Amino acid sequence: MKGGSIFVRGRLLPLFVWIFGLLLVWEGTSWMLLHVVETPLAQSKLPYVHEVLSTLWKYSGTLLKEGAATFGNAGVGFLIGAVAGASLAVLMSLSKTIERLTFPYAIASQMIPILGLAPIIYGIVRDEQTSRIIISGYITFFPVALNMLRGLRSVDPSALELMHSYAAKPWAVYWKLRFPAALPGLFGGLKIAAPLAVTGAILVELMGAQHGIGVIMLRNLYYGSSHTYMFWSTVIVGALLGIVSYWLISLIERLVAPWQPEFRPKGGSR
Amino acid sequence: METNSVREASFMGSSGKEMAQPALTATQKNAVAVPKPAEATASRGGSRMLKRIFSAGVLLPVLAGVLFLGLWEFEFFHKIFDLKKYQLPLPTAIATTMRDNFSMLLSYTGYTLTEAVLGMLVGSAIGFLIALAATAWPRWGSGSLTLVAALNAVPIVALAPIMNLWFGDGIGSRIAIVTATTMAAMAINAYKGMAAIDPLALDLMHSYAAGKPAVFRYLRIRNSLPYVFTALKINATASMIGAIVGEFFFSSKGLGYLLSNSIKVAKMPLGWSCIVLAAIAGVLFYLVVERLEKVFIKWHPSQRK
Repeated sequence: MKGGSIFVRGRLLPLFVWIFGLLLVWEGTSWMLLHVVETPLAQSKLPYVHEVLSTLWKYSGTLLKEGAATFGNAGVGFLIGAVAGASLAVLMSLSKTIERLTFPYAIASQMIPILGLAPIIYGIVRDEQTSRIIISGYITFFPVALNMLRGLRSVDPSALELMHSYAAKPWAVYWKLRFPAALPGLFGGLKIAAPLAVTGAILVELMGAQHGIGVIMLRNLYYGSSHTYMFWSTVIVGALLGIVSYWLISLIERLVAPWQPEFRPKGGSR
Repeated sequence: METNSVREASFMGSSGKEMAQPALTATQKNAVAVPKPAEATASRGGSRMLKRIFSAGVLLPVLAGVLFLGLWEFEFFHKIFDLKKYQLPLPTAIATTMRDNFSMLLSYTGYTLTEAVLGMLVGSAIGFLIALAATAWPRWGSGSLTLVAALNAVPIVALAPIMNLWFGDGIGSRIAIVTATTMAAMAINAYKGMAAIDPLALDLMHSYAAGKPAVFRYLRIRNSLPYVFTALKINATASMIGAIVGEFFFSSKGLGYLLSNSIKVAKMPLGWSCIVLAAIAGVLFYLVVERLEKVFIKWHPSQRK
């Protein structure tokens, strides 16, 4: 079981069939709503796929620009949050005191609806760029810290003993053993956080920003049914931003930590 | 070399003697530690250790929290970040607002929690069914998993207006939003649990000539339960977020509605009260799910002390 063509037939074909089938069902349902059932606001509820695609194409410049504004701010916040979270994880693994101090709060913050803070932060900062960065960073911070800490702890004890027997310095233990072991955990946290960071950024935009994909989404929603296709285009762009963020992290993970079991080619059947 | 996790110390058995650990009793030193899965919290050795960790582990964060609130109350943060009181209300002001609007806040919290719980139940059920289908027909099912994972990356904010168009602006649209946000975690986790079975157990089932339904009933579903509860714990938080974000836009009730409205009319203390209650409700919801997990999968190794 190896070789490119079989891989494509085995994995990608079903996925394409799924996507294509979904689009067909969408287009069919849209037609049904419009001409057979004649629901009010039919096109707003489920617009024609081809209309949305043509709108996407027509306004791709605007959508790209606004999407980039959202994505850029979310990305900056995401990076800051990730670095801070990873640093906290290292500190927690180094010092019992810091761990005791922060761990309960980190766990509690996982149970709290963080996105609810978006309007509050916007209310305090009153600057769309800064508040986008803050909320994305804050959302990223805890999942990364917790998952990274779990990774740092997941070191094979016999490997640790080997390092001991070589009289390895603490920093060598970290550099050669703990960091590589922590990478899967770190990327797990990053993958959780990436789409959330984008969501947070868009949410801040809805609170009254000037630029960003969230702003045109809201605007076209309030203009009513004449702007339906544009509204759906913004929704699709928002979705794509989230998916792309996740996909980017996965790509980096494959490059940085390619030894993980889930990247191995599947052998056998079942 | 200093390791700080008690768990590692117990892993390392007698070689961990030179580490700066609190004195262990003789029995623990020689006890063979059972390796625990990554989800388990650090094991604690003995009652004296437990007391020490407990006291330090509770006292320190509580003190830090009190200090934080104190600095906030005495306007330390306002001075540093140059904030006005109407931007960041004082804790006492928030507490007063909570007391004054207690009955309204309580009913809104109940409303939002209802949305979250109902949506989570529907979403988790659908997610579990998707996982079942994906396990039963792997070739075509994995595609559906990819689609669901893609749905997970879609910002809730984009879903909210669409669900509003479909289900009106009643409770239905929020339940739909929460359903959409909780489906993926359950589908992916349950699928993992159904796929990650012991090959020996599968061989045993085959040697008994067990058919697909029997393998599912006795092996796969049971093996997926811990994963299912992990997903439920993730979803407990996600569903609260979904419900609150859904209420930001087209609602006339609920914590999210009150929160966004309070900010718009600059009633910051009321907005903060909503956040506090949402946090409390979220934590309670999470703890209830955790409790259920303890009750339902007592037999699983991850639950062992």
